[in-house]
Amino acid sequence: MDSLGLIREFLKDRLGVEPDRVTLEAPLAALGVDSLMMLELMFEFEDRFGIKLATDLQTPKTVGEMIALMDGLIASQKP
Amino acid sequence: MSQRRVAITGLGLISPYGGDLADYFDRLLAGESAVRYLLTDDLPRPLSIPFVSCPGFDPDTVLGKPLASMMDRFAQLGMAAAFAAWDDAGLTRSAGEESRDSWGCAWGTALGGTLAYEKGYRELWQKGRERLSPLAVILGMNNAANAHISIQLGLGGVSMSHTVACASSAIAIGEAFRRVRSGEATVMVTGGSDVPQAYGVARAWEALRVMAPGDANSSPSACRPFAADRRGLVLGEGGAALILEDWDHATARGARIHGELVGYGTSCDHTHLVRPEVAGQLRALQATLDDAGLSADDIDYVNAHGTATAEGDPVEVGALRALFGERAAQVPVSATKSMHGHLLGAAGAIEAISTVLALREQAIPPTAHLAGNLDPACEGVDHVLEGRSGLRLRTALSNSFAFGGSNAVLAFRAADAGNA
Repeated sequence: MDSLGLIREFLKDRLGVEPDRVTLEAPLAALGVDSLMMLELMFEFEDRFGIKLATDLQTPKTVGEMIALMDGLIASQKP
Repeated sequence: MSQRRVAITGLGLISPYGGDLADYFDRLLAGESAVRYLLTDDLPRPLSIPFVSCPGFDPDTVLGKPLASMMDRFAQLGMAAAFAAWDDAGLTRSAGEESRDSWGCAWGTALGGTLAYEKGYRELWQKGRERLSPLAVILGMNNAANAHISIQLGLGGVSMSHTVACASSAIAIGEAFRRVRSGEATVMVTGGSDVPQAYGVARAWEALRVMAPGDANSSPSACRPFAADRRGLVLGEGGAALILEDWDHATARGARIHGELVGYGTSCDHTHLVRPEVAGQLRALQATLDDAGLSADDIDYVNAHGTATAEGDPVEVGALRALFGERAAQVPVSATKSMHGHLLGAAGAIEAISTVLALREQAIPPTAHLAGNLDPACEGVDHVLEGRSGLRLRTALSNSFAFGGSNAVLAFRAADAGNA
């Protein structure tokens, strides 16, 4: 599963958000992601992709920003 | 400020029996036990105990997954019970034109989000994880249930939790009662919830040697308050909620009134952590009568704390004998824990509901498994051995006596008795 797929699956499971609403331009807040759920979502990336998140990681505002951030970490932390 | 009368306009219960309130009370009247044998898959030593659970409760269905996923099971049970009581009171989920700024919530829980903490410990110490879920704090905090209830129902007044072991929700109800009676709050959501099936919690209770043993065959009759062969208490999970409302507010909106809460008294034995005292319990009982402006002769029924422990039962009967004097042998007493188990922080609330239903239905549920089996040390009151109906009940007490010597008693009156 890629990063977009993970976000879509998470938001469908937790908030019932239909996957077609989860576009790259969509603001995460508009999809119902608050500060707590943002952390949950980031930790889901940690668990699924085996990456480590820094404690001072910037907070993405859109789905596209989150994917770029996570894909960057996945690429840089590949063994 | 003059004191207000306090109407009970909503009752909500996540019942181990799985049915509605009428079904719940019918089963109590029939003496039907909800206690079952619990065998877990915990390794290396599974829990193997009589227990009361709510297997029909699906939080995702009742609350919706987005809300349910923000809660530990104790808060889920509490939220669901509060919603049920709220709907029963005929109140709308969303606020209309009337301000709810003085409406509040007082909730009881002995254990809070223990299951969330226990899950965290397993993650850290068994699985070697370096971090926990970002929800761990808000799932585990003891005030999670009342916080969610206040948020979901738009209650802008006090939102507080009470942790007083087995008296937690009785004290929550009493403190909510005082706020409505004083006029500080118009409506209060109150009650309690707990989930004692947490592995560490159940093992801790086991270590105290107060848990009744049982297997698949014997578990339904494992909890035998006041019985000569009693072996101890049976823990259970659950959530129970009441809506307390300013009487005039309730009647003005045409609400159905289940009963009236008329008195609340507390005391501390101040002698021992786990050995109860007649004198301390008697002070709470008398304080309740004084608070309600009642005499002992006015009481038609007592829902006992009655946990089925060797220490507790004779002391409670001793306190009731001291309170009622020569009339004690004529005062009906029953311990419904014999059927619904000991819900710890929800115990006072489920027993308050049982007492209100007894007054509403003019019927008294029994202490199950007691017929022909009474401990001579518990003689001296009218133990209810089988359900009684067609009675004339006006006023009843519900006792909650906790470890730590904290005692709380609530006095209820039938809805129509106050106007008689």
